[in-house]
Amino acid sequence: MTPYEEAAQALSRRELFQNVSAGIGSIALASLLGAEGGAAPLASQPTSLAVRSPHFAPRAKNVIFLHMVGAPSQLDLFEAKPALIKNDGQLCPDEYLEGQRFAFLRGHPKLLGTEFKFTQHGQSGLEFSELLPNLATHADDICLIKTLHTDHFNHAPAQLFFQTGFGRFGRPTLGAWTTYGLGSENQDLPGFVVMITGQVAGAGNSLWGSGFLPTVFQGIEFRSQGDPVLFLSNPSGLEVPGRKRIVDAINQLNGTQLADVGDPEIATRISQYEMAYRMQASVPELMDISQEPARVHAMYGTQPGQVNFANNCLLARRLVERGTRFVQLFDQGWDHHGSVFSSLRNKCKQVDQPTAALLSDLKERGLLDETLVVWGSEFGRTPLLQSDRAKAGRDHHKDAYCVWMAGGGVKGGATIGATDELGYFPVEDAVHVNDFHATLLHLLGLDHRRLTYKFQGRQYRLTDVGGEVVQKAIG
Amino acid sequence: MHRTPLPSLLVATALSAVGWLVENPLYCRAAEAQAARETAVDFVRDIQPILADRCHACHGEDAQEGQLRLDARAIVLHGGVSGPALVQGDSERSLLLQRVTSSDDDLRMPPDDEPLTAEQVELLRRWIAAGAPWPAGAGPDIQPQETHWAYLPPQRPALPRVQDPSWVRTPIDAFILRKLDSAGLRPAPRAERARLLRRLSLDLIGIPPTVAEVDAFLADDRPDAYDRVVDRLLASPQYGVRWARPWLDAARYADSNGYQADQYRNVWPYRDWVIRAMNDDMPFDQFTLEQLAGDLLPAATISQKIATGFARLTTCNVEAGVDPEENRVNQIIDRVNTTGTVWLGTTMECAQCHNHKYDPFTQQDYYQLFAYFNNTPLEVEGNGVTYNFVGPKMDLPLAADQQAQREELIARRRQLTTVRDAAIEKRLSGDAMQRWEQAVASARATAPTWHVMEIESFTSSGGASHAILEDQSVLVGGPSPDKDTYTVVVKSGVSGITGFKLETLTDPSLPGGGPGRHSDQRPNFVLNEFTAQSVQADTQTSSPQPILLRGAQADFSQARFDVGGAIDGDPKTAWAINPEFGKSHAATFLTRQPLTAGADSRFVFTLDQRHGGGRTIGRLRLAALTGQPATDMIPAAIAKILDVPQEQRTAQQANQLRDHFTGLDPDVAAVDAQLATLKKQIDAITPITTLVMVEQQQVRESAIFRRGDFLQRGRSVQMQTPATLPALGEEPTGDRRELARWLVDQRNPLTARVAVNRWWAGIFGRGIVGTIEDFGTQGDRPTHPELLDWLATELVARHWSMKHIHRLIVSSNCYQQSSKGTPAMFAEDPYNQLYARGPRFRLPAETVRDNALAVAGLLSHTLDGPPVFPPQPAGVWRHVGRNAPKYATSQGDDRVRRGIYVIWRRSAPYPSFTNFDAPDRASCVVNRPRTNTPLQALTLMNDEAYVEMAISLAQVIAGRKDLTSEERIVDAFRRAVSRLPTDAEVRVLADVYDRERSRYEQSPAAAEKLVGKQPAGVNTTEIAAWFFVANILLNLDETITKG
Repeated sequence: MTPYEEAAQALSRRELFQNVSAGIGSIALASLLGAEGGAAPLASQPTSLAVRSPHFAPRAKNVIFLHMVGAPSQLDLFEAKPALIKNDGQLCPDEYLEGQRFAFLRGHPKLLGTEFKFTQHGQSGLEFSELLPNLATHADDICLIKTLHTDHFNHAPAQLFFQTGFGRFGRPTLGAWTTYGLGSENQDLPGFVVMITGQVAGAGNSLWGSGFLPTVFQGIEFRSQGDPVLFLSNPSGLEVPGRKRIVDAINQLNGTQLADVGDPEIATRISQYEMAYRMQASVPELMDISQEPARVHAMYGTQPGQVNFANNCLLARRLVERGTRFVQLFDQGWDHHGSVFSSLRNKCKQVDQPTAALLSDLKERGLLDETLVVWGSEFGRTPLLQSDRAKAGRDHHKDAYCVWMAGGGVKGGATIGATDELGYFPVEDAVHVNDFHATLLHLLGLDHRRLTYKFQGRQYRLTDVGGEVVQKAIG
Repeated sequence: MHRTPLPSLLVATALSAVGWLVENPLYCRAAEAQAARETAVDFVRDIQPILADRCHACHGEDAQEGQLRLDARAIVLHGGVSGPALVQGDSERSLLLQRVTSSDDDLRMPPDDEPLTAEQVELLRRWIAAGAPWPAGAGPDIQPQETHWAYLPPQRPALPRVQDPSWVRTPIDAFILRKLDSAGLRPAPRAERARLLRRLSLDLIGIPPTVAEVDAFLADDRPDAYDRVVDRLLASPQYGVRWARPWLDAARYADSNGYQADQYRNVWPYRDWVIRAMNDDMPFDQFTLEQLAGDLLPAATISQKIATGFARLTTCNVEAGVDPEENRVNQIIDRVNTTGTVWLGTTMECAQCHNHKYDPFTQQDYYQLFAYFNNTPLEVEGNGVTYNFVGPKMDLPLAADQQAQREELIARRRQLTTVRDAAIEKRLSGDAMQRWEQAVASARATAPTWHVMEIESFTSSGGASHAILEDQSVLVGGPSPDKDTYTVVVKSGVSGITGFKLETLTDPSLPGGGPGRHSDQRPNFVLNEFTAQSVQADTQTSSPQPILLRGAQADFSQARFDVGGAIDGDPKTAWAINPEFGKSHAATFLTRQPLTAGADSRFVFTLDQRHGGGRTIGRLRLAALTGQPATDMIPAAIAKILDVPQEQRTAQQANQLRDHFTGLDPDVAAVDAQLATLKKQIDAITPITTLVMVEQQQVRESAIFRRGDFLQRGRSVQMQTPATLPALGEEPTGDRRELARWLVDQRNPLTARVAVNRWWAGIFGRGIVGTIEDFGTQGDRPTHPELLDWLATELVARHWSMKHIHRLIVSSNCYQQSSKGTPAMFAEDPYNQLYARGPRFRLPAETVRDNALAVAGLLSHTLDGPPVFPPQPAGVWRHVGRNAPKYATSQGDDRVRRGIYVIWRRSAPYPSFTNFDAPDRASCVVNRPRTNTPLQALTLMNDEAYVEMAISLAQVIAGRKDLTSEERIVDAFRRAVSRLPTDAEVRVLADVYDRERSRYEQSPAAAEKLVGKQPAGVNTTEIAAWFFVANILLNLDETITKG
């Protein structure tokens, strides 16, 4: 037995899970001691990615969250509103506009109906516009919320609100809260992975940050150019065996130091170097989709070597398959202030097929039941016309918009809430972003009121002081 | 604004004595007792309804404004922040009665409401006079809470007695040892000297000691050797760099706006100000005052104004469609919250929406603090489409080299002005001006006429063919060269020419009908340059004279291809006509002066068409203008003067005319052009700007925002400090100065404690109060309350000197203990809260890098200046919104400057810093987490920046040719961690070196691939083998740890 193993053994198992101050990475030490990864209870404030039991039996284990950055128009995808089509071009009735603030609309705006055909699908009869023919085949898997509403109507604050429950910087994201609450099953991969197509969203890296939670819970971006994880590759000229010899020497010297100094932090460091070395193999293996069968590529529309949403959807499946807890995809390009009809058609062509394929693929593999798939955005778009009719667009709309969930214990085919005849305000079952977050956590077996972190003297939570679980959404 | 100083809770001990007296019925005045007996007031029937109706909303179960509730007897008697609400038996001295009857609207209760009726007041008066009888069971039985420790002023404690006084090196040790004594523990022995020096150096300047410094310290056996090092390090300019870093986290210092566009902003002079202030040991009270209110100080200096950048470091959202006022309000909220965290160790933000649940801060307190910062202008300006970050900026004085350059340019300008004067004098000599005026007059007298000019010859440099048509137009045909220059020679036929016309004509033979030759769909042409020269008929041999053209006009110019581009001498600009194809067009050009050429003169025109794609003219014709020139040849104002007879012109008109005439002189024009360039250069030497605070002239009215929503304005509020803390003693100034002075008033129980605790945490890794951001009731209690108070009072007593406190801490025996422990010790006290060992923890992100640079022999000690851009992976800075900044990696010194100078872009901070727990600086952080992750391992092993450092360290090691390879390993090891390696450690590294050396000797190409081409005389395989050793050393836990 090496000196550091001896030193590490002297530490009792109990303190591994209790000594969770900044820096004592308990999983690493646990694995060093050969401890089985049996789920520890959710300790007061964990600081590692070790698997933890949820508050109650979960319906979903993992999450794939598809954030359409910029805000797709719910009125052209999910919400057929005959009255809006009928009154297209009419001035918006005054009663809707009282006290309303808009990002861009000025004066007295006109109504804008959709150009697209809507049809009902599946047993549930869920309505989709013609732009989502593939997704429509999953009508009975999807739970559509029609009345989500948020507090912000500018992109960056609303994006922060949608991901952190707070419209300014500084709070942990949903993904960070989730890995904080549950840890992650695969210790050779990050627990919270982010992938991006198009420009990075306006609020930047904070959309996958850990806020005041320890930084181990922040999302790790798998980049589409260069190293998928920053600093993953060895410097040019250093081959794998050379790296192995270096890691071994580092750990040997660290072990000597551990025996001399006794600080368990050194034991953690040793195991982190081992994990880093393993990640150098596991991440490239994960990212290489070229070995997937042709059938899978045909289903998703993936193109190995390219950067596109389809590839990211397939990677999301590969990640949850390997035990990554939370996968977040951002896709930019949905901010249609002008030419909403043609732009939306183009964007839907990019995401409809791979999104539907992801659901089918998860289902075929028996993963959909335990994987919660979420599709949504920071807000929706107005039933009001922006710009002239020839280049019709829609402004930001925060009072009612659509998101959907599938798998992971969600009630397939359900519709939550209803909006008025213009799709402007909820008239039934309004769902606030806090409620939405509470529901997602609930499906993961976490009580949003108990998933807290004490910071600056206050027990913070994702849902701040709000949040009611949307029971109707749960299957 | 002025608050009557009232007895506060903070003198609670004194008050309780008074309380005993007033509660004693014997103390009642006899007369009042008599009156009370006459008509008994019944509390439940007469008084409770008044209190419930008029008072309980703010002083009851739901709200306890001023920590007072009037529904519970014990609390009424104990009182709130203003003291006991009543004095039994003495209504006149009872605050309750004083406040309901006050004639001062600001004081009278209930606020903003009808006063109590005379009848109600009388009932209260009689009830109090009767001794304020309050039957048991009326109202809730709630006892006043003890004041939370942090809101009581620190008391200077006596030094505790300890078992081993010889261990007490500074007073700190007494407090530490006392607690160890009671835990039955002994302090650890003193750390080994080399490790201790490294710890001290990293703590005070953030840079490890050099091997020479270690040797000097080991050899110094004077009793004050350690103190001498402390002195040296405290005096180092690198001290400020080390200690500014945590302050910049708190101040959320960054070089970009954050949010959607995240543009660069210039505020780094503030960062340098902080470093300088710390190096100067600016007293913390002054440090506070200058940052919060430097702009308001009398005769504020530039430095004091720079300091106010502190408040301007808030993020700013300039995405399209943002509400500027909402943005401004968010910034002020951030200022209030940051002030609360940094100085008061208090989470103010709870009170943004409602009274603080746990701590005695009300929503009113919050918006009263808000009012201090509210008098600021909007920082976002937009036109509905584009929004920009604006707000007060200040120009700094120019740097010396800029100043010198500017002066040089000004001297040059002075010199050129003299040249110009001479040219003007020459121009005006004789009757030149008179003759000019006559020529102009005669030209103006003739009606303008166009004369088509006869083509003498036409050549195409690109080899196109041509035909001269009857109308004297040239029709180009044949091959269509990619680029072409036409040279056209014409006979003028007329004299007194004032301009030329170039017609581009359509023709059925041209693609798309012309006039250009590009394509059927787009028969465009691009005329890059059009020049004219004159050839005198009588002097065939003389060279052609260029004719200066001006005033280009065309019937149509394509967007961004204005006809003016054809005569500006710049071949990049040109005239073109998309999309007006299939139509003839014409461009006219004026000569500077009427041409005096004769009838037989010839003109040579060149038409440079170098755009490419065959965009050349298909058919053209040239004409000359005689007679009155177009208006812009003789500007309207000049023409007007010319119409005035000479003798009747005013002096001003005469001057204007003379200036116009002299301006036509080529020499004068040349000097004018130079002067214009100079002006641009002088203007380009712009001072550095920095963001500052400025008060608006017009005062904004502040109000409570209901539920924190800025659109829901409630009751108005004035600037005021929180009621639960002692009021400011001095005369209030009604602005931010007042807030700053109140924060550092020695009666403020929080500021000094919060400050010393933060410094302590910077050295020991954890505060005496563990929650360094929260001293409230939900925060941790101090592990050593007396030590905290001793340090806080010491800080104030020593004129708020940070260096004094730092010296005390690092001089203590507590600090100098060895950080080694047994696993049992680490298990027993994982946070080292008893201080039975020295501090040991991983370095902060910037120090990890600074330390490695120093070990590698690369670290630059340069201070100040704009941010630097060390190597980072490609693609980290991405296009965000409309902002696509380039990361231009620094070379030379800037590549290896200390981490504090690295550009801080909020949406994408320097990635290796992020991996070591640096925040994004979007909001105030006083407590960085300290994690231990595989990403950190990957960073140190593979980041290009660290690979560079490893190569550099390898070169340093290889360069020690005076040493054996084992000695070199010892030396390199000492560079990394200061101490001597054990034999076993040397053996590990020596084995690595030997093994890699022999591997690379087998394949030298692999060595070069790893470490690059080495300078002549350097053995590449040796460097590659040392690279392994260097990479290992830079990755050791001990290297990135202060221990």
